[in-house]
Order: sequence, then C-alpha cells, then structure tokens
Amino acid sequence: MFDLELTDEQKLIRDTIVSFASEKVRPIARECDETGTIPASLQTQAFELGLIHSPLAEAHGGFGEIRSAVTGAIVAEELAFGDLSISLYLLAPRLFAYALIDGGSEEQRARFLPAFGAGPYSASAAVVEPRFDFDTSSFATTARRDGNNWILDGEKCLVPLAAEASAFVVLAATPEGSAAFIVERDRAGLVIGEREKNMGIKALATHPLSLKGVSIPESNRLPDLDLPRWLDHGRVANAAMACGLARGCFEFARDYAKERKAFGVPIAQKQAVAFMLADMAIEVDAIRLLTWEAAWRLDTGLPATTESARASRYAASSTLRVADNALQVLGGHGYIRDYPVELWLRNARGFSTFEGLATV
Amino acid sequence: MKILVPLKRVPDPQTNIQVRPDGSGIVTDNVKFVINPFCEIAVEEALRLKEKQAESEVIVLSIGGKECQEQLRTALAMGADRAILVLAEVPVDPATAAAVIHKIIEQEQPMLVLAGKQSIDDDAGQTGQLVASMLDWPQATCASKIDISADGGEITVMREVDGGLESLAFALPGLVTTDLRLNEPRYASLPGIMKARKKEMREVPLAELGLGATEKVKMVAITAPTKRQAGKKVESVAELVSLLHTEAKII
Repeated sequence: MFDLELTDEQKLIRDTIVSFASEKVRPIARECDETGTIPASLQTQAFELGLIHSPLAEAHGGFGEIRSAVTGAIVAEELAFGDLSISLYLLAPRLFAYALIDGGSEEQRARFLPAFGAGPYSASAAVVEPRFDFDTSSFATTARRDGNNWILDGEKCLVPLAAEASAFVVLAATPEGSAAFIVERDRAGLVIGEREKNMGIKALATHPLSLKGVSIPESNRLPDLDLPRWLDHGRVANAAMACGLARGCFEFARDYAKERKAFGVPIAQKQAVAFMLADMAIEVDAIRLLTWEAAWRLDTGLPATTESARASRYAASSTLRVADNALQVLGGHGYIRDYPVELWLRNARGFSTFEGLATV
Repeated sequence: MKILVPLKRVPDPQTNIQVRPDGSGIVTDNVKFVINPFCEIAVEEALRLKEKQAESEVIVLSIGGKECQEQLRTALAMGADRAILVLAEVPVDPATAAAVIHKIIEQEQPMLVLAGKQSIDDDAGQTGQLVASMLDWPQATCASKIDISADGGEITVMREVDGGLESLAFALPGLVTTDLRLNEPRYASLPGIMKARKKEMREVPLAELGLGATEKVKMVAITAPTKRQAGKKVESVAELVSLLHTEAKII
C-alpha cells in the first residue's frame, strides 16, 4: 500500500524541470527581483516544455494528458527551487485553464482553451480579497442575476498576470453559494488597479481588480467547477512550491556551512549549526510528504480538503522557519543581497498570505 | 531520411566522481547518470534535421545494461522515434562499440550516423571513426555546423580547426561526429515524455549479433589524481628565490 517511488515518466519530468530551473530560472532570479520584471521569453520556453497545455484535449491543441496532482507537485517544487516568483508567473495560467478543463462547459472550453495550445497565453484567476477576514468559503465579491446576465461587484487583490491576462476566472458569492465566472479583460466595469508593492515575490507583478457592476452572460459562469476541490489543488501547489523554496534554502545553507570555516573547522561541524541543518532537512521532507499525501488523495478522488489545508498550513510556517535558519547559518552573509537567502526569506513570508496564486 | 544516433550512458559531469578503493572503477552509488553531452548534441542535431526533412526517422542506440533504458527513454522523450538497446553485461571498449554499431547499421541501413565526438567518461574519441572505417564510409569529425542538401543526398559539415573553419562535403551515407558548439540540446517536454512511453525500445543481447572477440583494450586500473599540495607562504623574495632553487629546482 505504500510506495513513494516516482514513475519513470515522473523522473524524466523532474529531470527536465530541474535542468530548466537551474539553467534558465535561477540565474536570472536576482535580477528579476531587483527589476520587478520577468522576461516574457521564459513563457515561450515554458510553453515549449508543455507546462500549461499538455492536459488540454487534442482538439484544443493539447495532448490529452491525464492530470496528476502528484506530478504537478513535483513540477511546482522544482520550479520554485529555481525561483518562487518565476514559478508563480509560469504556472498562473493554469488557474484559468484548469478551472475550465475541470468545470467549464464544452462551449467555454472550445472558446478559450485553444489559445493555450497555440502559444504562450496569459490568463489568470482572481481569488483573494483585500479584507482582514477573507475566507475562501464566503466571498465578499457578489454575483447577482439580471435576466440572462450576471452582475459582479467587489474587490480582488494579489492577482498574478493581471497586467497582461486576456481573461480571469473570478470567484464570487451568489445567492446559491460560491461560483466561478469568466470575466474577459475588456468587460465594462472591470478596472485593473495599480501594481501592488509586495515585500517578497517582487519579480511577479500582482494587481488588484475592481469589479463595479460588471455584466457578463450566463454562458460565462463555469457550470461544473467543484470550487473547494479547485482550491485544494491550489493549496497543494502552494505547499509544493514552499517545499522547493525550503529545499533551496536548506541546500544553500548546508553547502555554505561545509565551506565556511571558523576556529579551524567548517561550521557544519559545529553542533549548533549541524543540528539546525538537520532540522531544516527534516522540515523539507515533512512538507513534501504532507504535500504528496494531499496530492495523492486528489489523484485518487478521495476527499482532500483536510490534507491539503494541513500541507499548505504546515508548509507556510515551516518554509519561513527554514529560510530564517538558512539566513542564520550564513550569518552576516545571509543578510546582504549578494547572497540569495534574504530573497528567499522575503518570498517565504508570502506563503501564509497568497492562497490562490497557483494550482497543480 | 533515416538517422542513427549511438549514445552512451555516462556519469553526470556535475557529479563528484570517486574512485573505488580497489581501483576497479568508480563508485556508482548515488551517482546520477545522463546521456553523454556530445551524444546529446548528436540527438538534438538529428531531431533538427528531422524537423527540416519530412519523413525522417531518428533511431537511438545504446550499449550496456538495462539501466541504459533511462538514457534511451530521455532521447525518445526529446523526440527520437525508436530505440535499440544492445545488452552487454560489462562495459565495452571502443572497438566493440564500433563493431556493435556496425552490425546495427547493417540491419537498419541509415543514411546518416550522428555520434558524439567522444564520451566524457573514457575520453577515447575513437568509436565514430572506427565505425566509418569499418564501413568504408566518408566521415567528418567534430562538426560545428551541419547542412544537408534539399534532396538529402549530400552533407556539408563545418569544423572548427586551428586558424579558422574547415568545410567538408560528401555524399551520403556517411558518419559525422559532433562538437560542443553544434547546438544546444532541448529539454524533453512534458508531452514528449508521456509520448515516449509508447515508443518502441528493442532489446538485443550482444551475443545475438554474432560478434567474435573484439576487445582490443583492457582497463587495468583506475586511480584518482594525486591531491594538489597546499601552497607555501614565504617571508621574503630572497627566500622565494632560494626555495625555487633548492626545493622546486626550477631555477
């Protein structure tokens, strides 16, 4: 009943993402953070890898692959090992595409998905709301019926790709419960606000969305989206990325501690540091195991809300701890921007905040 | 056009290699293995030629244990059409590798064989040339650019030589070995990886090829290079000159 061995395909996928992350992502991570931009050419490369469109139906330009949350978690971990901002940037279109694959009508899929199969295509989702009591089970953004149309009102924030996305999946409360709607960029009443000034993930632009009486037809409501399940997928993706980030911090601190000498020996041989590193390694594995358990439940069709919430919650606090300890191992070097750890620590802080920026 | 690419499984060049205490080889536990980088460049070039010429087929070939399936699978995921694995229990020398490739060429009749110029483990750099000579085929080594005529009959190969570029052309069939700057190999894409599962991988036991004794080289022992000695700090120029004279004996 218990087997954590990756399949041959998963190993190959991991190899591909490992190479991509180490050769194309990590070398530019610092510059992206400093400039607050990510080169669009990376999206083309991500398209060539099939990061978004491989599970699309062949009729929509995809390859009809069966989606696996476990494989998705492996991909997300390795990408985030490269860089969290870039990872979120590249995977954000999944928020839109996978919502349509899972819960869209045949007409909606035919209308929107072929663009994802034809080339890099920017679309996103608006989940988070700028209020202290934000709760994914009761949105303050509302949708009310108006004849054959829906009228959307509310405020969203932390929307990735908002500056360039052609369409958004917007989550809102209806009299019958929460629902998801497709809102095209050019709908009257949709205002994309000024770029948010975030502490971490600074390379990724996020914007607030304001919806003021946005009218969309009934045909833009996703008829079959299991919203809690879709959010579970998001939490698993976040946890997997946290794992990648934490692993990056741990490995960097470990290698540093083996090189850096104090009192004639590498500091890794000092118990105060060695114990810290051992605890970091355990945290990384713990995040991964919780993530894989939740992902496996998603893949097998079992209820996964508890497990994905647990993984996401544990990952958020644990990653921050690992990043903080990595910085401590580096001492003064951890605090300066010549080393990547301060960047990772700023990014790690976001995990407890930005639910809904990714999905597996 | 049919293109055959022989490829070798080698330790990842990023790996820290350790020699076994008895000198019989290297420690392979926890060592990641990859396609030899020059062979990977050959696979990439074959795929690019295939993209230019419709109805081409790229066959990849490896010699070794079952574990070589990993590298063949990677090549299939990059886009090769099918794979052949010649099962050999022990590592083979360049002469045997060439004899095996020769046999497979007789079976498959490719128009072009693209091989890496050398493998990064043994650095023998002989296999490609041996194969060409066995077949009495034209060959060009260390290609930095390859062009094939529209009718697929002739190949032009650019080589980086001392003082400039050398251009060679010959009629196919023939053999070309690849150099580092020929191309930058692609990553296996996610859909490519899933498709690779359904592609053919034929296994041929070495004995089935009916080769006689082909081993020409015997590996006697492997030793690690001696560790670099720590440097010395001297107090004065006079001391340095004196040490260079008495200890290093170079002045």
